[in-house]
Amino acid sequence: MTEPVAGARKVVLPPHRVRAQRPLGTRAREWTRENLFPSPAQAVVTLLALAFATAIVALAVYLVLAAEWRVITVNRWLLFAGGFPQDQEWRLWVSVALVFPLIGAAFGLWASLGRRDLLFMALAAGFLFFLARHGDAGWASTVWVAGSLALFFAGYLVCRLVPREPGRARSIATWTAGGALALALPAVLAVLMAAGGARTNEFSGFMMNLILAPVGIAGGLLLAIPLAVGRASSLRAVSWTCTAYIELIRGAPLIGWLFVALFILEDVIAGDLIVRTMVVLAVFTSAYIAEYIRGGLQALPHGQTEAAQAVGLGRTRTLQLVVLPQALRISIPPIVGQAISLWKDTALISAILPLRELVGNSKAAIAQPEFIENRIEVYVFAAVLFWIVAFVMSRVSQRMERSLGIGER
Amino acid sequence: MTTMTGGLPPPAPTPLFFRRGFRNLLAQGVYVGVTALVIFYVVQALGGREYGFGFLNQPAAFDVGNQWLINVDGTTNTRFTMYLVGIWATARVVMVTLLLSTVLGVAVGVARLSPNWLLSKMAMLFVEIFRNMPLFVQIVLWYAIVLFGLPQIQNALDLGDTFFLSNRGIAVPWPEPDGGLYGGPEWLTAVWAAAVAAAAVAAWFVRRRRQELERETGQPHYPNRWGIRLFAGGALVSFLALGLPLTIDVPVLSGTDYAEGLTLRPEFTALTLGLTIYTASFIAEIVRASIQALPKGQTEAANAIGLSGYQRLTLVILPQALRQMIPSVTNQYLNASKNSSLAYGVSYADLFFVANIIQNKIGHAVEVFALIIVTYMLMSLAISVVMNFLNSRLTLTRV
Repeated sequence: MTEPVAGARKVVLPPHRVRAQRPLGTRAREWTRENLFPSPAQAVVTLLALAFATAIVALAVYLVLAAEWRVITVNRWLLFAGGFPQDQEWRLWVSVALVFPLIGAAFGLWASLGRRDLLFMALAAGFLFFLARHGDAGWASTVWVAGSLALFFAGYLVCRLVPREPGRARSIATWTAGGALALALPAVLAVLMAAGGARTNEFSGFMMNLILAPVGIAGGLLLAIPLAVGRASSLRAVSWTCTAYIELIRGAPLIGWLFVALFILEDVIAGDLIVRTMVVLAVFTSAYIAEYIRGGLQALPHGQTEAAQAVGLGRTRTLQLVVLPQALRISIPPIVGQAISLWKDTALISAILPLRELVGNSKAAIAQPEFIENRIEVYVFAAVLFWIVAFVMSRVSQRMERSLGIGER
Repeated sequence: MTTMTGGLPPPAPTPLFFRRGFRNLLAQGVYVGVTALVIFYVVQALGGREYGFGFLNQPAAFDVGNQWLINVDGTTNTRFTMYLVGIWATARVVMVTLLLSTVLGVAVGVARLSPNWLLSKMAMLFVEIFRNMPLFVQIVLWYAIVLFGLPQIQNALDLGDTFFLSNRGIAVPWPEPDGGLYGGPEWLTAVWAAAVAAAAVAAWFVRRRRQELERETGQPHYPNRWGIRLFAGGALVSFLALGLPLTIDVPVLSGTDYAEGLTLRPEFTALTLGLTIYTASFIAEIVRASIQALPKGQTEAANAIGLSGYQRLTLVILPQALRQMIPSVTNQYLNASKNSSLAYGVSYADLFFVANIIQNKIGHAVEVFALIIVTYMLMSLAISVVMNFLNSRLTLTRV
């Protein structure tokens, strides 16, 4: 079939294929004209934007080159773990090695890594290796970082083998991964604290952010489901108190509730300040998540409840089997949004509480006379660390939205 | 008629425990009991404190910086007065932030959808960078940049002799009341302000009238155009007639500070800049989403009747997208108003900062927190009322 048979119809390619076959130079020129200079007005806009972008990039490059990053490499331990006992460093690495493959598995099951994700990950990995190599720790931290990344990809690749179609294999894999993710937080806390490990008041630095945010989100989610159902309940006493709780919590900013944790809750909840902070974060988050779940409950057509009752389900079973699963699915994207928001909010814990998370330890790093000039560098570094995690979370939420088919039917 | 033959036996009465009404009652009873226990426990635990709001009426004995238009002395005034000073500081930041972030957010959101590749990518970068960074870190970073990145006041960055950037803040020109060309009294400025207000009211009525005419006759009567003309003309004519009763004072360096004009202090600048950019990046996403949610036919129809790109945006796309975005934007306004409490990180004396000083001096944490939460709730209520009014005006009630 290689030779065209005489009289046979000529193959007509669709226009985009024809355009794609032209030489690269022509295509590039055409792309430039269409996307950058379609009209004189647009050309002016492009040139102005180009000048602005060039100025900003030049300024950024100049600042990065002029900056002294030694303040970061010297204070690496302070920024990441602070008061955590140095001889227990392996506990931190084991926690990382525990969590990374699970994140990889989640990516493998519910999303896939595109070319852009891989590029971003390569950049992030380079950043991590750079941090691990500089300073005093020798090769150990580099090996740990490499191992954790390898475990991430192992988890990802194993879970890519699971078929996408719903079936026995997939449901086993999802339940295993989901269960492991749910258990990850207690497992990490156990690794950090069990058998002569760190005490809660030794948590510090970026590690504290990484622990407090998941605790707040998990606790908030657990509290939010009964709150949302309670607010929608037909029992007056229940719905009124739940509404009052939600509106009260949403009334004050988080920094106000941290004020409560510091000055008021000490009489109510026994335990370390960090435990009270965890309670406050969970309570604060629960009010917001409850509102999102309520939105999901309201978005559900009433026919669902009626149909469930028609097939003879009781009220509890209707809620458990029909209403909640659908409502939760609808409210996943805003819940992830709230998780990102809480992640960023952990940055203000040190502002008012005598706890030292990343920003607090950044202040400690600047307080050293040697680095008093380098505060901008330290805050930029902290901002970048926060940004990486928040960006990954926002990408995951977009993927989930797409793969769950929310907004489509 | 009691002898029933065949059919079902009469249903046995449901036991009390399985009746729906009884169960509801029982559930509520248990719930109320547990809630009461929790509340009782909390009250019990907090019972050891002294309560009362009397401390608010005692002299404050601390000073609050960064006041504007007012000058309240903390040594003689009461704590409550100083708290009101804090509220004024918060209100200033929130008003400026809401205004600027709306303008910036709409601009970035529209740029995000521009056919211009470079512009749209730059808007995307703006959103992705600033939305995913903690606001607190951003504010602290801006503060560090203003304090340590900008030059000393003696060699401030001079932008055309009108704007001066230094680590003492940003000095900008500012209008000052003035007697005008005829050397009249200073209250001429107030007369002019009244004239401007009158022109605004007149413009409003003319606009309404012309809108009605347009609706009745179907002919264009240009309500917006005439409204703006009347307002601008009235303001200008009265301004000239009163002999220019206002001067714009350009900042002048005297010693270690600026004598005239308005100096935006580093704390205010950092806080407002951080809040504005952060809020704008969220508003930009809302604007983008609500424009994308419009049916594509709207753009095509606007093109078909020959509107220019700018007309298409302002006459067809934005008015419709506005209805979609108001609820989400209201949420962002509420967030921004509460986020203004991060002023704490740069020691800008807003209401939370002042309340915290009061607590540090005298205790009474529960009462101070009650004060804080009530203030924020009132502020949220005010924003919600205004935005709901706007929403009800913009929502299509008739088809």
